[in-house]
Amino acid sequence: MSARSLPGGAVYDRGYRPYEGQRGGRGASRAALVRLSIRRALGLRRSWRQKVLPWSLLGIATIPAVINVGVKYITRNTPAADVDLITFRDYVGVSTTLLLFIAVTAPDMVCPDRRNRVLPLIFSRPLTGNDYVLAKVGALTAILFGFGFFPQVVLFVGQMLVVEEGALDFLAENAEVLWQVPVAVALFSLYWATLALALSATTTRRIVGGVALLATVFVSAAVSSILVFAGGADVENLFENGSLWGLLNVLEIPLRITDLVFLGHVDPTSLVGGAEGAGLGVILVYAAVVAGSLGYLVYRYRRVQ
Amino acid sequence: MVDDLLLRAEGLSFRYPSGTLALEELTVDVARGSVGLVGANGAGKTTLLRLALGQLRPTAGRIEVVGRAVADDPIGVRAHLGFMPEHDCLPPDQTAADVVATLGELSGLPPRAARQRASEVLDLVGLDEARFRPIGGFSTGMRQRTKLAQAIVADPQVVLLDEPTAGLDPIGREEMLTLVGRLAGFGISALIATHLLDDVQRVCDHVVMIDGGKLRRASATRALLHRTGAVRVEVHDGAARLADLLRAAEVAVTLVDDATLDVRVDGDDDGRVLDLVRDGADDLGLALQAMTTRRMSLDELFLDELP
Repeated sequence: MSARSLPGGAVYDRGYRPYEGQRGGRGASRAALVRLSIRRALGLRRSWRQKVLPWSLLGIATIPAVINVGVKYITRNTPAADVDLITFRDYVGVSTTLLLFIAVTAPDMVCPDRRNRVLPLIFSRPLTGNDYVLAKVGALTAILFGFGFFPQVVLFVGQMLVVEEGALDFLAENAEVLWQVPVAVALFSLYWATLALALSATTTRRIVGGVALLATVFVSAAVSSILVFAGGADVENLFENGSLWGLLNVLEIPLRITDLVFLGHVDPTSLVGGAEGAGLGVILVYAAVVAGSLGYLVYRYRRVQ
Repeated sequence: MVDDLLLRAEGLSFRYPSGTLALEELTVDVARGSVGLVGANGAGKTTLLRLALGQLRPTAGRIEVVGRAVADDPIGVRAHLGFMPEHDCLPPDQTAADVVATLGELSGLPPRAARQRASEVLDLVGLDEARFRPIGGFSTGMRQRTKLAQAIVADPQVVLLDEPTAGLDPIGREEMLTLVGRLAGFGISALIATHLLDDVQRVCDHVVMIDGGKLRRASATRALLHRTGAVRVEVHDGAARLADLLRAAEVAVTLVDDATLDVRVDGDDDGRVLDLVRDGADDLGLALQAMTTRRMSLDELFLDELP
């Protein structure tokens, strides 16, 4: 081994060894992009500062489940035992922490690649723009699913262990939840992943991407609510008195999809409750948001910049 | 043998949506080895690299890399390529080891192998001690070396290097050229896009010159420099008359002064040109005092090729 001293370092000649090991194809590259995106979002192999946000948000999102289980345990032999502070349906995506997590994570997944001009390096590998989009959507959907599903598992298993009637009876009574929760959480995760990534892809700045998502949520919620109540809905009694203007609320759509999964119809006390064709409208808007977001992402990454 | 070619272009044209014609009817066979892709800024070098990567689709014609048609299988072609862009393209908040390993994984290497390869190639480019530092604190030279490391991490057959010495100080440039010059010894062919002809003359065994999207010349570097040059002819007087006579015979001549002219000789017909000089001087009754061969540098050759 020879060494040559140079200002700022030294070049050590250790030769070059050709790589003769296993080499994956496009599938391996796609899987790697998903894996690396998840790792980055969770702060794995990054400094502790990068880990604080995702893991504390997961902890916060789990708190309601823990409290609910604790209350169930304390009240297990009292008439209050049947009272649920939070139901499985309510628990799908109502957490503000999850929304904050999405607003932080989605821009972090795509903005730096464009801002730092890493995309030409990525697309010099066996990957296309569509692969990139699918990998990023897949990674964020998987993370959101994990973050949405884990507290539900805590809620379910915790209640199963503390209820008075016993674990098996609880399991039998709540068997439907076993498919409803994963389906609802998966649909919820896909919705927010595609929408948040599409909004983030409009900019190279993470903060702008996050603000764009939160602004879209709050502005759409405000506009939608104004239109619903201007149409005659009563704030005190929304029951059977909502309107299709509620479909403009991007926050409302995944919650009503959750209703459809758990109840088979939209919650009558929601902004669209009681409106003619509300269920179909929710499904159509959901599909339009997901398809539109995916379409925009594919368009955005059709060329390397 | 097509498989011995690094790149083959046939009638290759590319027009950007803005209307700019970046490449026009480019037809060239480029042998494996270290090949300099030479041209001024805007000549179409980067466009040709992006066409080779399949990141752009030709407006017309076809391009093959390592014997594979890019249009038919861009993903398959990329599996054999490494690419070092001209611009800054490294995330400043990540370490060199992470970036190179990440890009190794994206090239299809298993995670453990990618980390091992990243370590090896970063050693090779002289970043063994710095590899766990964030790239944001790197000098331009260290960034360029990181870019080269990521290009070779998956042991490609060919690397496409876009202005590898851009922005480097003389020492950094020397280091980079040394590394690039060694690639052929590793079994990696290199297509090096640059406007620095000195770099090409030092490390490339073949040269492809393009200008305005058109091919000007493609040849082995040594042959180009050996065969091409000028002969300085000194006569007692009447150099202008000899120049006129040679020009009439379609020989490129530059009149230096009343007694001196430079006669361009090019490749296979240099014997004919020298005969014309001798016979012309004899016909005009001029006394030939000296004929001195002067080889051109790539810079002079390139400027000479420009329309």
